[in-house]
Amino acid sequence: MTAPFETPLDVWIGRATRDLSLTSAAQVRAEIQEHFESAREAAIGAGSSPADADHAAVAALGDPRAANCEYRKVLLTSAEAKMLRDGNWETRAVCARPWVKTLMQTVPAIPLTVAFVMMSRGATAEARLPFLFSVALFVFLAAPFLPVYTPVRARVYRVVKWVTLLALFGLMFGADTLKYSWLVATCLWVPFWTESTRMSIRRKLPVAQWPKQLYL
Amino acid sequence: MNFKGTLPTLILQALAEQPSHGYRIAQQIKARSKGVLDFKEGTLYPALHKLENEGLVASYEGMEQGRTRRYYRITKSGKTVLSKDRNEWRELSRAVSLILEEA
Repeated sequence: MTAPFETPLDVWIGRATRDLSLTSAAQVRAEIQEHFESAREAAIGAGSSPADADHAAVAALGDPRAANCEYRKVLLTSAEAKMLRDGNWETRAVCARPWVKTLMQTVPAIPLTVAFVMMSRGATAEARLPFLFSVALFVFLAAPFLPVYTPVRARVYRVVKWVTLLALFGLMFGADTLKYSWLVATCLWVPFWTESTRMSIRRKLPVAQWPKQLYL
Repeated sequence: MNFKGTLPTLILQALAEQPSHGYRIAQQIKARSKGVLDFKEGTLYPALHKLENEGLVASYEGMEQGRTRRYYRITKSGKTVLSKDRNEWRELSRAVSLILEEA
């Protein structure tokens, strides 16, 4: 149901901008409004009545759902914009507190030290778990402070990250990895979802506009 | 006529002639094809955004009849892609014509 003050163009834009971020929706509104006015002027110039011109201009835009589907492939959705905002907040929170940065860089060293101590005492098999834990912590906590902020280096880092993650599960469970695949899938679901959303954002934003989180 | 997939190439061709705004690009494609390629204009802008994200076109604001409008122009890489697309289309068109004319 539409509000009484909504014009057919407002309805069209409302449908075409469904689930888009506020900035994207404003951009679509401006360009469609501009297009509509040109089409309307041309129709009136060709002898149509204003009402017929309005109708023809909206009809020429086609199905707003189809347009929405296309727009969502090229402009940021509200979920993607939220992820960028949240990621920026996290980055600012870390940058504003130098001790958090130091903590993120040193934490992976703790389980690594434990693993070396265990190995030096002959408990090589038991040392595997803290070693793997330190690698995982390094990939997630320390790597953002490495010079990975170019598209090529970032791509290499992401491949290393996913290979490391999968290898960690393989090393942790050994021959039982398939048996514990439900656990692997559960653990990797959130990173996988985050990665797929970031991939979508990377396609939509020019590299010059990428915030640091998109490189990781 | 359904010409899904060729819209970006047609947009690049329209922009290779002169920088233009969305409405004019749509009218140019329709007029040049003598009305055969009649597409829904709402899908033109997502295609333009895609080309812009890929760096094949660039946009800027300009004035026309006292109104601010978003203009698009083809970039150097856009010209390269257009030239490649044009050659591929010619080859495809020639091959399809050969088959259809045999029938």
